[in-house]
Parts: sequence; structure tokens; C-alpha cells
Amino acid sequence: MKIFKSYFFAFLFVSGSVFAQDEIKPERQPGHTNQNKFKQLYDEFSTPNMFRTASGAPGPAYYQQQADYKMDIELDDDNAKLYGQETITYTNNSPDQLKYLWVQLDQNMRAKDSKTPLIGTSGIGPATSSSGAVGSFLKEPFDGGFNIEYVKDTNGNDLPHMINRTMMRVELPSPMKSGDKFSFQIKWWYNINDHVKDGGRSGYEYFEENDNRIYVMAQFYPRMAVYNDVEGWQNSQFWGRDEFALPFGNFDVNITVPADHILDGTGFLVNREEVFTKDMMKRYEQAQKSYDEPVMIVTQAEAEKTEKTKSSSKKTWKLSAQMVRDFGFATSRKFLWDMMAVKIGDKDVMAVSLYSKEGNPLWEQWSTKTVASTLKSYSRMTFDYPYHKAISVHAPMGMEYPMICYNFGRPDKDGNYSDRIKYGMIGVIIHEVGHNFFPMIVNSDERQWTWMDEGLNTFVQYVAEQDFGKWHPDALSPNDKTFPSRRGPAKNIVRYMGGNQDFIAPIMTKGLNTYQFGSNAYSKPATGLNILRETIMGKDLFDYSFREYANRWMFKHPTPEDFFRTMEDASAIDLDWFWRGWFYTTDYTDIGIKAVKKFAVTAKPNKEGEALANRYNVDPNSLVYFVEEGADGYKEALKESTSIADLPTVKEYVMDNFTPEQQKAMKKAPKYFYEITYEKPGGLVMPIIVEYTYADGSKERETFPVQIWRYNDKEVSRAVATEKEIVAITLDPDLETADVDTSNNAWPREVKESDFDKFKNKAKN
Amino acid sequence: MKSLYLIFALAVVPLFISSKEKHKYYVSVTEIEYVKKDNALQIISQIFIDDFEKLLRERFDESIILAPDNKPQLIERYMQRYLEDKLKFKVNGKAVNFKFIGKEYKDDITYCYLEIENISEIKSLSVTNKILFDVFPDQQNIVRLKLLNKNRSFLLLPDRDNCMLNFP
Repeated sequence: MKIFKSYFFAFLFVSGSVFAQDEIKPERQPGHTNQNKFKQLYDEFSTPNMFRTASGAPGPAYYQQQADYKMDIELDDDNAKLYGQETITYTNNSPDQLKYLWVQLDQNMRAKDSKTPLIGTSGIGPATSSSGAVGSFLKEPFDGGFNIEYVKDTNGNDLPHMINRTMMRVELPSPMKSGDKFSFQIKWWYNINDHVKDGGRSGYEYFEENDNRIYVMAQFYPRMAVYNDVEGWQNSQFWGRDEFALPFGNFDVNITVPADHILDGTGFLVNREEVFTKDMMKRYEQAQKSYDEPVMIVTQAEAEKTEKTKSSSKKTWKLSAQMVRDFGFATSRKFLWDMMAVKIGDKDVMAVSLYSKEGNPLWEQWSTKTVASTLKSYSRMTFDYPYHKAISVHAPMGMEYPMICYNFGRPDKDGNYSDRIKYGMIGVIIHEVGHNFFPMIVNSDERQWTWMDEGLNTFVQYVAEQDFGKWHPDALSPNDKTFPSRRGPAKNIVRYMGGNQDFIAPIMTKGLNTYQFGSNAYSKPATGLNILRETIMGKDLFDYSFREYANRWMFKHPTPEDFFRTMEDASAIDLDWFWRGWFYTTDYTDIGIKAVKKFAVTAKPNKEGEALANRYNVDPNSLVYFVEEGADGYKEALKESTSIADLPTVKEYVMDNFTPEQQKAMKKAPKYFYEITYEKPGGLVMPIIVEYTYADGSKERETFPVQIWRYNDKEVSRAVATEKEIVAITLDPDLETADVDTSNNAWPREVKESDFDKFKNKAKN
Repeated sequence: MKSLYLIFALAVVPLFISSKEKHKYYVSVTEIEYVKKDNALQIISQIFIDDFEKLLRERFDESIILAPDNKPQLIERYMQRYLEDKLKFKVNGKAVNFKFIGKEYKDDITYCYLEIENISEIKSLSVTNKILFDVFPDQQNIVRLKLLNKNRSFLLLPDRDNCMLNFP
């Protein structure tokens, strides 16, 4: 049957209109470079080397530096100041000699002379409120920068150092050779910011009632910068938005706070017996055996009593953490505390929540259970959670640190909350606990690539939210059957990707310089991974490859290429076209049906057919003819209503060339013939997912792999032969490809009601 | 729908960046389309639910919660009152009033549907949009006009809260 079809395939649209606007067409077109959407990413990727292989794995010479900290911290609760002294031991595992070290002073973003306020733009209006005027023109800026008292070696000798805004260069007495260790000490203090009023990823929230604060602390100590094979010393300042790049290390931290505070943070609590009451110890032991319900370590009644008075004595909490990239802690006399155990692999992990009475009744119900559920989902998608606990702290922000994160979601004063508050809280806890995996353990460089942790994390967040809805149907509202995830499904990114190109940047842009930060660094990469998983690669191949990436780079520092390469290496799917389009450009998907031609099949030649036969000097009776709708003889051909197998010429050919067995094995003979032309106004290439609806109401789907676009990026055609008449064709019926314009996705073209009319008509009824 | 989608252009920033600080951006989007066959200006104002909720609480009633089944009539009355105060239109130089058709919540956003009827000809349209300027000093309001085959976007700020389009 092959020869009959060849008539169909004799088409290739070549666009000759490139110079249409020119008056005179040049005789020859100029040449061009490879602009093919499927071109490999050799120009964008760096050459693989001994540090990072072409497969996307750490190479044989891969190294990473280590920074170990011993710290003594003291909180002055009355004046909201933090004092600290630390000994940093830095290990040079690189093959390079280091003349100096760079230390990050992130709090200097809040210094009086910070340049962060100067990179925003501003204007003056005709009028402003008095408070606005005072804030803009009168008030001294908050002085929240680090006050460095000394930088010394371990013998007490001052080390020359130079502060360049949020970074400090420390000169080494002699260069560090490969394998050397160097210890030095820093003493400092700073004024803690009110993160509710002044913003920030660390600070306190003030409560007028009983004059209390909840501290959620981070970036509170001078931290080593990363030195590695791709950046050398990380040299991009902290402006406030782009987050952090940090080496792994071990921490021993003693934190002294008022004796009536409850404190938890990164690491094992080493002196639990010293800081816990007998009751708390007993409850803690119960919590370690409770896998279904959290056990209160500090109850609401106890916390409400504690917050009414202030202790003048102090208590020191000692925490010790191995292989973490950072350290955070939360402390307050307002804290309630609950915990439960969750099995991860063959290990018990503690899911923990710290919150004040303002968070209830929401927090006692869902925080700790959400932590446990998140650890299970992420462990399935990546690797077993390697730390011994994960804490969720109630604070009006969303921010992550190893083993501890700060999350919003607060009912009103009477304890009422909307679904939005509840889902927002569960969603943010899943997100921030999830950050333990990306970037706390799979330790990407957030300063350069926001999407590497936020995008990957937001993707797994979607999976974990859906799990949570399944495992805790009682947390869902009566109208919801699944957790209402905001980010993940392809259709949710359409508004962003189809938007004004002046305000869109490619994902592969440094976070500080992107427009629409949330859509750029969170939603779009997460959606891209979701499209790969559900539509392009399939769950099995995707999940295997994603897990491979997570395991290869667990406790290491991956780059974007390591991710892109691993996903291809582990799946045998060349995804360069996807990375190029989705991550390196702002192109969007728009595929449509341009034209559908119908044909009837007949043995009777019409004029055209006869002419063709004569031209090639073949017997007109030996050919099969396709007559297009509207052409001469179409109605007659259709009336004959024969399937292609019933045409005498075909019967003859079949009987002469096929055995009876072969004839039996043939496909069912089609009767209806169509030529469908797909157009692609969008710059992205995507598989063509098409659904045919037949006259009897049944439907059938066909997917053409993305490579169908390799020769022609504008339009492609396909012949379709069916037994039943096709009455409708729909492209991307499940909205899987983020097509920004679905008005061209249907044949016959549907006239869609505008959003406005839709609402207006609904409102009328 | 292609052009229609393009006027959705500048995508709305999600309500809260769900890591980092809760509020980074305060943006509303108001789309205005002239529909000749209905002689009407159709307006959809998109305002983040939690921003709008904060405003309505401060301005009218501390106990307001914006949720689908919660006191819809009362809340729509407040919304209408507020929008009539902060959103002004002039067609061909003359001030015109809009009809508040209703609102719906989708994801993080409140969609308010407004309509100005009996507009048989448009020579100029001026829009003043002060939505949320009274609560958020960083508020930005995007106005998108789709009129007579002309698509234009404007970014309105407290010191520049008006935009205008003429059709010669």
C-alpha cells in the first residue's frame, strides 16, 4: 500500500517570503548559521572537564571546600542585639593556592551605608502621607550592619582584613596550599531588625501584648563564601534578593538566651537534660514514639503563662550539626512546641513545630503533620532525608535553613481563617521544608541561579502537595478533592509566558536581574519539569533521572549544566531543544491547526488525475485517486462510499502481491482521508498532541514527537486516513504544553466567549 | 484569542513568593476592552485577594474575610464603593460611570467585572487608577487598553496615576 500514499506525502512547504518586504529580491539568499531549534547546546555549555563530566556527574577531580564553625552567641532580648564570637576552620580541598579568604557579611545589606536602597528607582508624587514623608525624608535608616570587633588568628594576632560592603577579605599569614587547614576568629555584634516592619529573611516579630518578641535568626554570623571550579571565589554581593552560596561544614554553636526562652535550631541539641524540664523530657520521649499525632512538649497553657513574665537569668542551648551549609535558630518565651516521629527509610526523623498562640488553631493541627508528609514525599522523589529533624517555625515570612524554616499562615484574632490562609500555610511549609533537599543538601549556588533551588523545589512541592491532599483528606475543604496547587500545571504558566515580552527574562538569568521573580524563578522552571515529567519523558524516565541528579549532587555543589546533562544522561532523551527553548529563551508555545483538507478516494480519475496519469504515461486505471472536497467528482467519489481496499486497482494489487496470511494481517481499510496542516506561531517546539472526534462521538488521540518540527519551524502537515469520518480536531486537549493561544487549537474553529461575557452571562443567571 | 491573550500581557506576579518575604510586589492589572457590537467598554480589574482584603479591612470592617461564600453581597458593596472612588474613566473628555457586574476569586486574585454602556464612539479614553495606593506605597497599577485595534499598556504609580489614549 505504500505507493498509494506517496501522493500524499509529496509536499514540503518552503517559505519564500523572507525578503517579502524588500522591493527587489536578491538573486541568491544569503547563508546562515545553525538556527535550528534542535541544535545541540555546545555553545551555551562549558566544556566538560575533570571536575564536572559530560554525563552531568561530579568528575574524578571534583572537590569542594569545607568550613567548620565553633560559635558562642548571646542574645540581648531587652535591646534586640546579638553578640557573637566564632572560630572558623577552613579546609582548602582545591588544587589551588589561596592567598586570601572571603567571608560573607550579609547583615551589611542593612548597614546605614548599604547600597541596596540605591538600586531601586523612585519618584515624587503630588502628595504623600505624613508617615510616608517621615520614612522617606526624615528617619535615619536602621543600622543593622555587622560591627566587626576583631579578626584574629588562633594565637590572638590580628589578621589584616578589608570589608567591601557585604564581603570581607581576610589576608592569610601565608598562602594556603592544597589540603591546608586554617583557623581564625571573628567577634561581632549587630542590631536585630524587625522583619515584619523592615522585611528580611531573619529578625524578630514584636508583640505589644506583654512586650515580647519571636526571633527567627539567620545570616547572623560571618559566613565563608564558596570557592569552586566554576566561579573561583563567589564574588557577587548580597543585594537582598539573590540568596546564598555556602560551603558545607560542621557547626558547634552555644546560644545564650533568657532562661524562660524556648529555642531550637540546626543540629542536635547536645545538652537537652540541662535545658529541658522533667516534664518536657518525658513528653519528648513520648513524641519519639508517636508516628500519627504530634506530642506537645510545651503546651499553650504553659506558653501563655511564660510570656506574662520575664526571667532575668540566662540559659545556654548547645547545638551541634554535621554536614550542613548554614545554621539558623528560633527563640522566644512565646513558643509552644510539638513533635512527632516519621519513618524515613529505616530511620526515625523528628517532625517539629515551634509557634505562638497567635498561630492556633491552625498550627497545632497541621504544621507538624505537614512537615512529616513533606519529608516522605521528597525522600521518595530524591533520597532519604539524611538529617535527624525538620522544624517549622511560625513567623510571617517564608524562609529556609538546614533543618529549620520559618513559615507564614496566621488566623485572625478570634482564630478564624479562610481556605486561602490554610492552604497558603500548608503550601509554604511544604515549600520551605522541601528546601532542605534543594539547596541545603543538593547545594546549588542561589546567588547565581535562583531557579536551581526554587524551581526544582517548587516542582517537587507540587508532587508533595498532591500527596498531602491524598494522605490528609481531612485537611482539604469540602469543595476540594485534591490540594489546590498554584504552581505546576502547565495551564497556570500561560498568563506569564504569553505576557508582555518587555517584562520577561529567560530563566537562565541571574535572579537579581529577572522581572517577575516568582514566575521566572519558581513557576516557570517548575512547570517545565512538570511538562517533561507528564508529557515529554513520562514519569518513570523523569523520576529516575531526577533522582539520579539528586543523588549525584547530594552534599555537593551542582551547576545548571550538571542538571541538564544528568537528565539526558539517565534517560537517553536528548532534551537540548527543551533546555534551549524553555530555559534560555522567553519563547512560548503556540501551535494551531491552520487547515484541514478532506479527500474522497476513487478509482475513477477526474480531470486532474487523468492529466497526471498521462503526464507520467501510466495507465489511468492502475491508480488510486484522492479527490479534494469541493473539487470535481468529490461528491460522486464520496457517494460510492467505498473503502480504499474495495477499489478494483487496490484489490488487484493486493491479490497479486500478498499472501492470504499477509492480507489478513493488514490494517483495517480506511475510507476517509485528511491532510491536516499545523502552524506554529510560537517560538517553542513541542510535541503535537491531537485528538480526533469521529462522527459516532468516539475519540482517538495521536502524538507526534517534537522532532516533527526539525525541518520546518513554521508549519507541518500530516495525512490521516480513518475508517470513521472525523468531525472535530482538538490540539493539546488536556492543556499540557502551556499553549498561550488556544483559539487556533480547534477545527472547526470554535468561537469562544470572552472571559467578560462568560462572567456576565453567569452573573445574569 | 491570540490578541486577547496578549493583552493579558504582563503576567501578574504571584501573591506571595512562597519562599522569602511574603510580599515583594504590589501589582494590580486592569484590562479595558471596547466591544463595538455591544457599544460597551468591558473592564476586568485583577487585584490580589490578600491585598484587597487588607484594604477592605482597614477601610470598612476588620472582620472581612475574602472567601467565595463569605457575605458576598456586603463585600461586593464595599468593593464597588471602593472602586467607584479609585477608578475613574473619561470617554471623549466626559466623565462616565461604570456598572459593577460582580467579582470572582480565582487562585490568588479577585477579578472585578465592570462595564460602561452606551459608548457608540470613542475618540479618547482617560483612565485614573488609584487602586490600593492608599495602603501600599509601593503599589503599581497596570492598565491595559484594547481599543479599536490598538493595544497599549500603562504602568500607573502614585505620582502618575492617569493614562490617556487618543484616536485621531
